[in-house]
Amino acid sequence: MFDAFIQGLLIIFEWQTFLVMLLGIFLGFWVGLLPGLGGSTTLALMLPFIYKMTPVEAFAFLLGMHSVVATTGDITSVLFGVPGEGTTAATILDGHAMAKKGSAGRALGAALMSSLVGALIGALALALSIPVVRPLVLTFGSPELFMLAIVGIAFISSLSGQGGRALLRGFLAGLLGILFAMVGEDPQAGIQRFTFGQLYLWGGLDLVPVLVGLFAIPEIVDLAVRGTSIAGELPEGKLGKGVWEGVKDTFRHFWLTVRCSLIGTFIGIIPGLGGGVAQWISYGHAVQSARSAEERSGFGKGDVRGVLGPGAANNSKEGGALIPTIAFGVPGSSAMAILLGAFFLQGIMPGPDMLDKYLILTFSMVWTLVVANIITVAASLLFLNQLAKLTLIRGSILIPFILFLAFIGSYTSNNHLGDLIVFLFFGLLGYLMVRCHWPRAPLVLGFVLGKIAENNFYISTIRYGTSWLRRPVVLILMILTLVVIGYPFIRSRKRAVAAGAVT
Amino acid sequence: MKTSINLRFLLALAAALAAGYALYASWHWPFRTALFPRVIGVPLLGLALFEMALSAFSSEKKPEGHAVDFALTTEVDPTLAHRRTLAIFTWTLGFLVLILLTGFPLAVPLFVFLYLKVVGREGWGLTLLLTAISWLFMEGLFNRLLHLPFPQGWLFSLFGY
Repeated sequence: MFDAFIQGLLIIFEWQTFLVMLLGIFLGFWVGLLPGLGGSTTLALMLPFIYKMTPVEAFAFLLGMHSVVATTGDITSVLFGVPGEGTTAATILDGHAMAKKGSAGRALGAALMSSLVGALIGALALALSIPVVRPLVLTFGSPELFMLAIVGIAFISSLSGQGGRALLRGFLAGLLGILFAMVGEDPQAGIQRFTFGQLYLWGGLDLVPVLVGLFAIPEIVDLAVRGTSIAGELPEGKLGKGVWEGVKDTFRHFWLTVRCSLIGTFIGIIPGLGGGVAQWISYGHAVQSARSAEERSGFGKGDVRGVLGPGAANNSKEGGALIPTIAFGVPGSSAMAILLGAFFLQGIMPGPDMLDKYLILTFSMVWTLVVANIITVAASLLFLNQLAKLTLIRGSILIPFILFLAFIGSYTSNNHLGDLIVFLFFGLLGYLMVRCHWPRAPLVLGFVLGKIAENNFYISTIRYGTSWLRRPVVLILMILTLVVIGYPFIRSRKRAVAAGAVT
Repeated sequence: MKTSINLRFLLALAAALAAGYALYASWHWPFRTALFPRVIGVPLLGLALFEMALSAFSSEKKPEGHAVDFALTTEVDPTLAHRRTLAIFTWTLGFLVLILLTGFPLAVPLFVFLYLKVVGREGWGLTLLLTAISWLFMEGLFNRLLHLPFPQGWLFSLFGY
């Protein structure tokens, strides 16, 4: 086993393999930066190029590309408030807020370093868990997936903010998100729900135009209203110094980064939850980690922990998602489904052979995740200071380009003009929500998890009747849901009691 | 008791209307199809009505509680902010109209040019340079390299190009 582990490392440094991996990293870097290009789409576009490659080269190329997409997607989210990838939207909330305060460098440093830590933990999980993951994945049937979605939805209580009115608006936003998730064909009977006779809506609302609209438009409006650069009227010298501060932040809050990485890995392992979920649950967890009400009120306004949590999770989930793909041929996400196609193109059947006949290849994948992320972060750190200076460009110059990226990013999700209408609708909704102090994160959480919850609820009741409610993991997850909902209340009560005791 | 109709009231009203429509539409669906929309629609309607009442009967000069989200700038004069908000929404909508009329490949450089010249009041050199960059990006990357299927603009369809 150890020999295979070392050989897996050495094999990716053979010049041909290393070269195609560098090419993959280069492509992934730009795919992540541009909102118009999705990681999954690019993986699919690159599949024909692997025919003439050896399996090690093919996976070094594809995984090298795919594993850095989320890392560089964070850069766009932080700098412009437009999600570079659908899986990097949560980074906007605090990352872009930091950029507006002149701390873009610090936010980028934190996003990149937490991404690297997340990728390393995801890769480590992949290396360690392949022999033992079978019982875990088999434990998670539809009842457990339903309850896991409910645990995620319960994070609305953390993402809503402080105070009764904030909680009310948080739940309103969350419920609206779940309602939006129901647009399209009912998964049970195929009946159209809320489609208004439009063929475009039959498949439901796509996540990308929803996220781009919800997050980009309010930021663009704010930038236009301020009439300054993203960073305002700050002196230029103030920007560049924060990159290393952001790197240090990752280690100052190391256990938070590790916990969020583990959340990402776990969500990646469970097929059917998808990358959009990991970042928001991690963000919710980061908010929960605040020790006081004052600390918590800083989230959404530029707290570095709001960057570290989703940054770590959206990279660690890749290692996690590879586990069921390699071990059973069960893809954990759309990108992994495409990667599964690459296995078949190379004549490899995922499953027990990956732990025996192709063990070196399996470990080469682990090392590709590690090396690709180290190269990307190292290369990015070299010119992050220059990137951060983009936030000093006048808003009137940036706005047409940000709008262009937002429009094209939304359009490319389905190549349909309907995407642009959805983008504008959610843009207006996002603006009104920000204006009326409704938090947007619960809406996204409800939207991402609503369909998962509904589908798995029906599968559970059809398959198990009501007996699924007594399954041990379901019961554990029910308790966890109560803990997630009750934790903020219990803690604020404790604090109130403690404050009363002091005075 | 003084009541007021403000933006918060209207947003809550929109949420209540969405919930009401969901409940009304689910009336004609089979039980399984209707279950989730009803389970979500009922509390959404209740909470939205409650928020409406709070927005109408109590003035909230400062936001009660902290939303985990950013806040729009308050440093700009409200009249100017209002005018700039309307302007940017008009430009955004205008971009959509341009895309529909002329198609993506032409709309992008045209929009960049018009925005830089009219709003940014930039010099001709910078405006033309940035317009050319946006055209190269659009045409080179999305049209030529990735072959994204951009629909033809309505104007071109109308004149039979």
